[in-house]
Amino acid sequence: MTYELVSGFETHIELSTKTKIFCGCTTQFGGEPNTHCCPVCIGLPGTLPVLNKEVVRFAIKAGLAVHGRIADVAKMDRKNYCYPDLAKAYQISQLYAPLIIGGYIELSNGRRIRLHHIHIEEDAGKLIHRHGDTYVDYNRGGVPLIEIVSEPDIRSVDEAKEYVEKLQQVMRWVGISDCKMQEGSMRCDVNISVRPKGTEAFGTRTEIKNMNSITNIARAMEYEYERQVDLIESGGKVIQETLRFDDATGTTSSMRSKEDAHDYRYFRDPDLVTIHVPREEVEALRAEMPELPSEKFERYTEDYGIPEKDAALLTKYRSISEYFDSAIEGVKSPKTVSNFIIGQIFRRVETEADKEIFDVAVKPAQLNELVKLLDSGKIRNNLAKSTLEKMLDSGKGALEFISESDMGGVDEAALLELCKAAVEGNPKAVEDYKNGKEKAIKALVGNVMKNSRGKADARAAEEKIAELIRNA
Amino acid sequence: MGSIADIHEKLVTKQVSCTELTKSYLEEIEKANTALNAYVCVTGEEALDTAAAVDKKIAAGEEIGMLEGVPMALKDNMSTKGIETTCCSKILTGYKPIFDAAVWEKLKAQNAVLLGKTNMDEFAMGSSCETSYFGGAMNPFDVNHVAGGSSGGAASAVGGNIAAYGLGSDTGGSIRQPAAFCGVVGLKPTYGAVSRYGLIAYGSSLDQIGPITKSVEDASIVYDAIAGADRRDSTSVGAKNGPTYPQLNNDIAGLKIGIAREYLDGVRDDVKEAVLAAAKVYESLGAQIVYFDLPILKFALPVYYIIACAEASSNLGRYDGIRYGYKTAHYNGTHDMICRTRSEGFGGEVQRRILLGTYVLSAGYYDAYYKKATDLRGTIIKAFNNAFENCDVILAPTVPMTAFEKGHATSDPVETYLTDICTVPVNIAGLPGVSVPCGFNAKGMPIGMQLIGKSFDESTILNAAYRYQLAAPENFKDTKWGVKL
Amino acid sequence: MITREDVENIALLSKLFVPEEELDGLTRSMQEIIDFADAINNAPTSGEEFDNINNLSNVFREDEVIPSYPVTEILKNAPEQAEDHFLVRNRE
Repeated sequence: MTYELVSGFETHIELSTKTKIFCGCTTQFGGEPNTHCCPVCIGLPGTLPVLNKEVVRFAIKAGLAVHGRIADVAKMDRKNYCYPDLAKAYQISQLYAPLIIGGYIELSNGRRIRLHHIHIEEDAGKLIHRHGDTYVDYNRGGVPLIEIVSEPDIRSVDEAKEYVEKLQQVMRWVGISDCKMQEGSMRCDVNISVRPKGTEAFGTRTEIKNMNSITNIARAMEYEYERQVDLIESGGKVIQETLRFDDATGTTSSMRSKEDAHDYRYFRDPDLVTIHVPREEVEALRAEMPELPSEKFERYTEDYGIPEKDAALLTKYRSISEYFDSAIEGVKSPKTVSNFIIGQIFRRVETEADKEIFDVAVKPAQLNELVKLLDSGKIRNNLAKSTLEKMLDSGKGALEFISESDMGGVDEAALLELCKAAVEGNPKAVEDYKNGKEKAIKALVGNVMKNSRGKADARAAEEKIAELIRNA
Repeated sequence: MGSIADIHEKLVTKQVSCTELTKSYLEEIEKANTALNAYVCVTGEEALDTAAAVDKKIAAGEEIGMLEGVPMALKDNMSTKGIETTCCSKILTGYKPIFDAAVWEKLKAQNAVLLGKTNMDEFAMGSSCETSYFGGAMNPFDVNHVAGGSSGGAASAVGGNIAAYGLGSDTGGSIRQPAAFCGVVGLKPTYGAVSRYGLIAYGSSLDQIGPITKSVEDASIVYDAIAGADRRDSTSVGAKNGPTYPQLNNDIAGLKIGIAREYLDGVRDDVKEAVLAAAKVYESLGAQIVYFDLPILKFALPVYYIIACAEASSNLGRYDGIRYGYKTAHYNGTHDMICRTRSEGFGGEVQRRILLGTYVLSAGYYDAYYKKATDLRGTIIKAFNNAFENCDVILAPTVPMTAFEKGHATSDPVETYLTDICTVPVNIAGLPGVSVPCGFNAKGMPIGMQLIGKSFDESTILNAAYRYQLAAPENFKDTKWGVKL
Repeated sequence: MITREDVENIALLSKLFVPEEELDGLTRSMQEIIDFADAINNAPTSGEEFDNINNLSNVFREDEVIPSYPVTEILKNAPEQAEDHFLVRNRE
């Protein structure tokens, strides 16, 4: 029997607000232990939370970025569980009335992964286990998070990878998070089950907690898929449980213990009041939203005829697409600009981090100028390419490297003169050509190129010479 | 009688220095506290430092505020920077906050002289003060009787003249009930009038800080000083209708005082008689008494216990021996450490309420208990709003009985909960309520009546209480204890 | 009816130990309290939804950094600490 994978994701993303969600402590990553803390975020008795307005704004932007509906009324709830990294023994989160409802991420195969909702909540502190002892650092405690909960719409590991990449791309794009999985500012809980292909009913799912790289997500899902299929094939049953993934062995194992009997006892947090989201505010934020990567992708492929693969590269980071957009202003073929960026400029930008910033020596206006010279026929493609390299080396404009004499090409009349001279001065070649030796014309073209110092259009010259010989 | 105004007058006219005054309070605490057990921590040094600063100001001819230099006390659930704050629980022994509660910040800025922290039921859970880790506070009218709870220490200290006034907190009657038991005035303000920042939470949607004082004027003065919106407490609004003190002594002719019959059900005869006698006093002052029914009140007690315990079970989760307070001596692993710390650190009543709160929030029971209780909360609020369409204030007993004898608060939790039957509706609805002495029983124990007002209408209930105090001063009796000014 | 197992489960969620010998007594007293709470089962509700006491909404703070506390203050009340962390030793 063949099986189908069914997966849904719960993705936590740390928002890059300046301060924590309920107090004024900084959200800066790292820092000496327990130095980004105050009575509120270490949960001292008597302290109270006050919601950071920017968190609500960021979450609304996230919602707009994935086509979600922004709720009119949202509320904060307490999720109760006792663990040393959670200073109050409850996490302030949202269950009954989350800020964003619905939405989707569209994959390159056209499938939409629907989102159930997005809610805001606080992060927990960090535990370091050493020799069986536990060290607690609350710097991260209270850093704002959004949790993006998808429907179980993912059907393959590749879809899962693309889903995560797309989320990462769009959340960075709208500027609400750096989504650095290695620093923990983006983490995924992966729900996974299998079912015989062609059936509707869901199988029993397991949840792999706290995945922090796309590679490991793929490894864990592949392993877990195989494990569940093997289990079912051998007559066993999948148990609904929470799993951890072991990076070293590439396997999953149960996290369950008697100690965490989980019943979160969610209830409205009495310390916080209702959030009413005025429609005008949503519309104002919508107006501020940049063109989204999916929208740009569509424009690049459909309006400019850029291949999908290239359009994907151009829209991977907002800075690249903005570079591209400003470099194509007024040019005849945006595709040429795309080729220059992907073919030449990308070679100078080695790391992903640098690509994300995309601060290159040649400014978009300079590339624009170069492409316009090409457009107007003033320079030829080979010259443009070599000039771009020089520009990239020096950061100087195109005109620094192209002399007046290099430009202007050869006009119709001059070309005719050059061709006539070539035909008249090489009777042997003309004779050979007339006798069917087609290649002989190359020598005549070469003569024209030589005398025009490479500025003539070789193809136009060939046509002109053939015409002269025919009409002679 | 040692009212705030008296003390202020004596300080300003230099009849007594603030240091002398503070010393006499500290001496009387020394004498009385063994019997009253009102204080669990005395801050003599800090008090004398503040007193010296106030004396310096007076000597320099500077003007001082009404509360400046007046010796007072805080219930032990209000955070005081550097001063042990335990909620009278073993689990918080040794805890010294690194910040001040908003109310203390305000009073400290006015040079209030803090004598110490007062006794209370553990985490404010109780009606007799006897669940305190430090033993119960006793009644200054008769030390064989309890002071009431949970703010028993503050009521005992004020009734025993070992604090000019105290701040208590009221989740289900914890200011009003001990005030009634100890023959003093206790005001539970409208929810949101006073910042909860720094008040160690019991039931967050019910808790409110308020004054316990010898007189209605004092309650008004202290309330005006501590009320105010606070950006650190999202639920705080402040005194929406301005200060109450300028509104005292307004004419109450024509004031409509409502009595809900349900409030008199099951109330002991001596208490009922005293409250009805007070109604007569009001009639003689020109007020109009209107009777009405408020049948929904019979659900108030279970609604209160479900909500309070649910919130408490969550609020008290943080006491785990990691960041502050008590930690068990022997354990094996983190989970074991947390469970042992909590089981050893919390007393029986607190554990019972945590368990009940956990139960009513747990999967399968949430809708039947917690959700239903909050729905009923909406219904109760509506019922009060309707009632206030026909009256300006509601008059009721504060407690169905007078202070019980030591150890009488039985082991039967439900019977003990019934003590709160007259006080909890106000907390459920977030309304202001003031308890005022209105007589004594045959054994000479004080009886309290309660005036309940509309939201943020502290002025009206305090004015009505003040007019009663003027008309029936015999009910405001002093005790043998403490400082005699 | 609340059972011993229910009480054990609630105790575990509440992170409280209930000694075996106290379990029956506690179950009984929990049952009493729950019976008392059950009074609300028949209570009529007016459909008035309860949101928060003063129907407040949109109370926010601005995203402005307030200096954090020194780590010595943060750890001041910790029963145990090491290397600027709160410390929970595995056993004592």
